[in-house]
Amino acid sequence: MHTVAIDPPGIEWLRVSPKYVTVRLVEWAIANLITVGLFSLPLLFVELGWWKWPPMWLAVTVPGAFLLLALWRLALIPRQVRAIGYAERDDDLLIRHGIFFQRTMVVPYGRMQYVDVAVGPVERVLGLCTVKLHTASARTHAHLPGLPAAEGARLREQLSARGEARLAGL
Amino acid sequence: MTQEQTVVDGDWHRVHPASPFVRGWVALAAIVYFFGRDTFERAIQGRGNLGDHFNERALLLLAGGVVVLLLALGSFVLSWYFTRYQLAEGYVRVNTGFLFKQQRQARLDRVQAIDIVQPLLARIFGLAELKFEVADAGHSAVRLSYLRLEQAKQLRATILGRAAGIADGSETVEVPEAPEQVVLYVPPGRLVGSLILSEQSFFIVLSAIASVVVSVLTESRAFILYLIPAILGLGTAYWRSFNTGYNFTAAISPDGIRLRYGLLDTRAQTVPPGRIQALKVTQPPLWRILGWYRIHVNVAGYGEHRRSEGEHRTMLLPVGRQPEVMMMLSLVLPDPGTADPERVFAAGLTGLDSGAGFVTTPKRAWILSPLGWRRNGFLSTDTALLLRSGRLWRKLVVVPHQRTQSIALHQGPLARLFGVADLVLHTTPGPVAPKLIQAATEQAVGLFDQQAVRARKARELQNLAQDNSEHWLAQRPSAVPAPQRASTPQRASTQEETDHG
Repeated sequence: MHTVAIDPPGIEWLRVSPKYVTVRLVEWAIANLITVGLFSLPLLFVELGWWKWPPMWLAVTVPGAFLLLALWRLALIPRQVRAIGYAERDDDLLIRHGIFFQRTMVVPYGRMQYVDVAVGPVERVLGLCTVKLHTASARTHAHLPGLPAAEGARLREQLSARGEARLAGL
Repeated sequence: MTQEQTVVDGDWHRVHPASPFVRGWVALAAIVYFFGRDTFERAIQGRGNLGDHFNERALLLLAGGVVVLLLALGSFVLSWYFTRYQLAEGYVRVNTGFLFKQQRQARLDRVQAIDIVQPLLARIFGLAELKFEVADAGHSAVRLSYLRLEQAKQLRATILGRAAGIADGSETVEVPEAPEQVVLYVPPGRLVGSLILSEQSFFIVLSAIASVVVSVLTESRAFILYLIPAILGLGTAYWRSFNTGYNFTAAISPDGIRLRYGLLDTRAQTVPPGRIQALKVTQPPLWRILGWYRIHVNVAGYGEHRRSEGEHRTMLLPVGRQPEVMMMLSLVLPDPGTADPERVFAAGLTGLDSGAGFVTTPKRAWILSPLGWRRNGFLSTDTALLLRSGRLWRKLVVVPHQRTQSIALHQGPLARLFGVADLVLHTTPGPVAPKLIQAATEQAVGLFDQQAVRARKARELQNLAQDNSEHWLAQRPSAVPAPQRASTPQRASTQEETDHG
């Protein structure tokens, strides 16, 4: 599928580190294995003869469906990570996410109130970080995950400096 | 004129001594009721507190009550004594608390809005609360409760004068209250009418019909019982709307837009020019009969409208006809950025298709919104972006270019199939959430790019005009008529009675 449908033309996107796939995999594993495991419990209990309900077909279908969904998500992760991109323009930062549900966002430097750099445990092991931009709007949910720590620090400094220079009142 | 000077030159002031009582009268009443009930009952029954052995308990209770009451009064006096405020060097500072001290300061030129609120009891005593809002989404930066009404007004005038840049901190002359010109008044009759025709009435009638039908079908009367709490709840909602919307008056002054409203509790809001971040005009289906609209705004200091207080504060016009809507729009957007604002805004309010230059959802995507596709659209003037939507619930959102925070383009799989995309403008928290739905992809992408450029240009212009300060009167010519801030002696003289050390 054509994944650049809604991007403004002529943008050189910088991509995040491929190592971010690992972070997403760990997140995926924690969330989905627990879900599938929980929904498999009835199957186990029915199998062991502890429970009379639900019927076998239901006990198999529900965790099966969740497993399929989880595998589908798993297959998407590398492409989703590749779909994350950012571009520093003269006056604003562009951020894009997503393949099926695409989001492209432009955050003017002058609108940034502050820049966060967050590092989770898995990210720390891999030497990655997440940069978050905050404007006066709570709806600006601008985050860039999976940046190499050095790039994150550079981006933060760069954004802060540019924000300072172009700061405008509300 | 020593008293005038005291307010200006950075002295510390206290709020009105009666403030804690006005704020805490419920607690006092509760203490008196709790500890005094026994005594009162005895007195009413004709039995004294002295004599039989039971009354020891009553006396003990009474003594305890007196102690608690004294403690409460003591804490009131202390809290009053330690609450002080100051206006100096471009800041307003407030110190509160005697055990846990709090010092707070806010920059005057960061003011987003100033409210003067008078709850019923405070109003009886001629007191008022002053709220100074900065852009932190719904928490008043500074609340001074309570001041004498005149003093609150004077303080507001001073703060606004300083924030506007017409008086700097070194001056010892009082800033007179800016003259204002009433531009709009909502008569109570129309307010009642608007409530009767509001959405909630629509649903009440609908549910009433449903419940009658159900009770006839099931031959049971129990439904009536279920309706009682619903009716009570709705009654309260209607009352709240009436109470707050009563006497709605909009006025214009060099300080900005002034809104006053309220039946029992009154509130006077002042929103300085350029503080309105976004605006929406809506029309529920039943209002179409009488051609009524209402306007909500996003102001950075007011925050989410879901907060009980913010609900009415974000209302710029509770109910009004098209000319009044146009007038309010012209106040918020003095320069509409188009040659024929009447036609453009009228098309935004009621228009369909590409009238006046609106760009609507392409015909290929009509199935995504069978009713609204001819109406969902956008138009960008030189100064603002207009987003219109809704066939039954008509809506027009106006966002000035220089107020845009960030912009996002969204497209899901279904939208991609039909070649459309949504454009979301991010603005400060509030009831207005500007979103362009289902625009043709190429137009949405184009707008995304152009809008980023327009917003930047508008910001640059604004910075240039104001030298990156937020003083709205100092550099920029006033956008409203009658801007003369002549020092009216009557207004200044009200200051005489405001000092209470």
